[in-house]
Amino acid sequence: MRIVAAVLMLLVYSFGAGAQQPQQRPPQRIISIIPALTEILFAIGAGPRVVAVGSFDDYPPEVKKLERVGALLDPNLERILALKPDLVTVYGSQTDLQRQLERAGVPMFLYRHARLADVSATILELGKRAGQPQEAEALTKSIERHLDRIRQRVAGRPRPRTLVVFGREALALRGVYASGGHGFLHDMLTAAGGDNIFADVQRESVQATSELILARRPDVVIELRVGDTTPEQRLKEIEVWNRLSSVPAVQAKRVFFLTDARTVVPGPRVAEGTELIARALHPDAFK
Amino acid sequence: MFALLQAADVEFSYGAVPVLRGVSMDVPAGGFVGILGPNGSGKTTLLKVLAGTLRPARGRVTVDGMNIRNIPRRDVARRMAVVPQETHLTFDYSVLEVVLMGRYPHLGTFQIEGPDDIAIAREALDATGTRNFEDRQFATLSGGEKQRVIIAAALAQVTRGAGTTGALLLLDEPTAALDLAYQIEIAALLRDLQQRTPIAIAVSTHDLNFAAAVCRTLVLLSEGRVLAAGPTAEVLTPVNIRQLYGVDADVHQHEAAGHLVVVPVARVRPGAYG
Amino acid sequence: MQPVRRRIAFVLAGFGAIAAIAVALAPLVGSTAIHLGRAFDRSIPFGDNVDAQILFVARLPRTLAGALVGAALATAGVVFQGLLRNPLATPFTLGVSSGAALGAMLAITFGWGLGIAGISGVAAASFAGAAGAVAIVYALARARHGGLSTNVLLLAGVTLNAFFSALILFVQFFADFTDVYRMLRWLVGDLDVASYQPLAASLPLLLVSFAFFAWLARPLNLLSLGPDSAEAHGIDVRTAQRVAFFSASLATGAAVSVAGPIGFVGIVIPHLVRLLVGADHRVVLPASALFGAAFLVGCDLLGRILMPPIEIPVGVITALIGGPFFLWLLMKRG
Repeated sequence: MRIVAAVLMLLVYSFGAGAQQPQQRPPQRIISIIPALTEILFAIGAGPRVVAVGSFDDYPPEVKKLERVGALLDPNLERILALKPDLVTVYGSQTDLQRQLERAGVPMFLYRHARLADVSATILELGKRAGQPQEAEALTKSIERHLDRIRQRVAGRPRPRTLVVFGREALALRGVYASGGHGFLHDMLTAAGGDNIFADVQRESVQATSELILARRPDVVIELRVGDTTPEQRLKEIEVWNRLSSVPAVQAKRVFFLTDARTVVPGPRVAEGTELIARALHPDAFK
Repeated sequence: MFALLQAADVEFSYGAVPVLRGVSMDVPAGGFVGILGPNGSGKTTLLKVLAGTLRPARGRVTVDGMNIRNIPRRDVARRMAVVPQETHLTFDYSVLEVVLMGRYPHLGTFQIEGPDDIAIAREALDATGTRNFEDRQFATLSGGEKQRVIIAAALAQVTRGAGTTGALLLLDEPTAALDLAYQIEIAALLRDLQQRTPIAIAVSTHDLNFAAAVCRTLVLLSEGRVLAAGPTAEVLTPVNIRQLYGVDADVHQHEAAGHLVVVPVARVRPGAYG
Repeated sequence: MQPVRRRIAFVLAGFGAIAAIAVALAPLVGSTAIHLGRAFDRSIPFGDNVDAQILFVARLPRTLAGALVGAALATAGVVFQGLLRNPLATPFTLGVSSGAALGAMLAITFGWGLGIAGISGVAAASFAGAAGAVAIVYALARARHGGLSTNVLLLAGVTLNAFFSALILFVQFFADFTDVYRMLRWLVGDLDVASYQPLAASLPLLLVSFAFFAWLARPLNLLSLGPDSAEAHGIDVRTAQRVAFFSASLATGAAVSVAGPIGFVGIVIPHLVRLLVGADHRVVLPASALFGAAFLVGCDLLGRILMPPIEIPVGVITALIGGPFFLWLLMKRG
């Protein structure tokens, strides 16, 4: 009789475990292929439970020791499944990967690259899923406070017309891509006390032709290029702008070349990135 | 008569396959030579070697006694023109444009054809009865008309100053792609040309009756070697035909046609010689 | 049909006028309204004169680039069609553009910069890539019994295109997402050179090509008859083929390095021009150069003014015009 009961309980238990039940325990084996989400996970204390990251993740330094399983274009499904994760962060656009993970019964956290305001929401949501809701709340509060402080510092000051460039050819003013009036770069700029010259363009990116740049006459140019650059390289890159000599930013020598990753990752350090931009726009506000 | 164009012991192979195994023949000034033979005997190859387009592995081709390889291409082109079996133009040229291309060897590098060249071209069109096609697109003509235009172009090519003295026309299977009516037309045209202008003609053909109709001398080519060469009546014999084609044929002078006519009668068992 | 001399004169005058008007007008039109009076006002220092900078830094180099690239691609198309004896050949059939694309992709991925004022690393790398592709195709095509068979040339070019395209996909796979986007963008062409240096660098190459094209006009006519016929007309077919191959590849390589592989110019213009002036290359070549210049300048203009401030890439405009034109051509023939 006891044996029958034990077998029955075993059956019920295994059935229960296979069914779609809300997880009671927070995930213990997390894979995150999205750099921003990886940073968030570590910032809210879920770092020890991350078993693998994406190809482009490099912060915090701990991730360098972790295994890489691909990224947006080349996620390695085999490797991901072999690691037996119980939570995988996935880009909203990776529909194939989502289908495959669903079939394998792996829980997912869907991410869509969005605006500055969404960073807090994302942190809270991910915090809940990863089982660190309080830490997530604390993190968002600190980010919001930091952003508010920045906004206060630059409040009342004239807002320079700014061009934010996030990509172009090396050492040439070709293929210049700038932030349009949508997206988190635009939001960071606004919080940092600048007015986007392409605020009227309802897209995230605009190809800034030389005519457009000349016509819109930015007071400041902020170029974001993450990576190692020597001071000489940086100087050369800034000199490239001298060709458009009638642009106020060129004349006033307000072309800035920022190589800090904090300016391009919509994650926990987004307020720091915003401050970097704010310091470039309003140096006297941060003395 | 001295030989205008002469091949001496010419050998040629396509890769490892020998096609011409020591061929000697000549085209005298004002002559009309037919190169006769079955498919694969090397007729077209011989014609290309004579034209200078192909270089023989051994032997040589001479024009007026001078090795053709030592004569600049353009100078050869001014005396000798080739009429291929078929002409397919990649682009839509007019008839006059095609004939004027024959004048290119006579023009300087960037020289444009002048009124003299146009006059020569028009005369050539007259000579081949195609003057009224002058402004038509070449591609719209019938096979026979196209062939006549190409002959006109060849004529224009070899016309120098006073005329076509010492000029040579090489025709590769001129009637192979044509209907019967056009075959007769071309034959008549060539005969007519020969009589009116001092031009030497060499044709390669597998059409015995055509050769008999127009050629004064024949060169019989069998498997890359000259089987027989000489005046048509002497060379075009049932014996030679049997050896060349493996066919028993009747050869006789046709009253109405005015030339020798060959009528194949029966196939000979391969290897049987009479 | 008019004699050649007259037709050439007519073409130079007529198409020349169209090209001149296009080049003169295009810099005056754009998504920004500029004040011509101010632009030409010498009293304003150039460094402060926005109108002048828009005219002379943004628009004029762009227009000139469009004219040069348009002329180069159109005439290269004519020469390739004559060389390959195929009216469907384009300047990109023999692998030049995929070699250039590979060079550009690598330069974008690895961030190669040249550092010479105004000439981008991508342009230099794409020219090197084009040269490499040309060398490989030539080596492949002449391995066969010393001649230059156009069939083998075509096969070699098509094969190389396929192989390089695979390599390009490979590079894209390992590249950063923004780099991939920029590569895709390069493939649709960009005339915004914003500097006279790329023009100055490519001009000598183009002039050399054009000089060879002028010499090739009659040989190309003769090649239409077939290589044996051409030979019998007294031209050195092998030399003519080599000159055609290298000069047309040079023009294409230079054009693609400046502005990327802009399609349809090299096939639409030759066809259109032949419909208008006949098939004689002595007329078709200058006509194609002038008409190609006007066409590309016009397409770029459309791209700039249709959806301001967004600019439609010039390669998209040429495709939107060229595609239907092709359909019409096909239906006309069939």
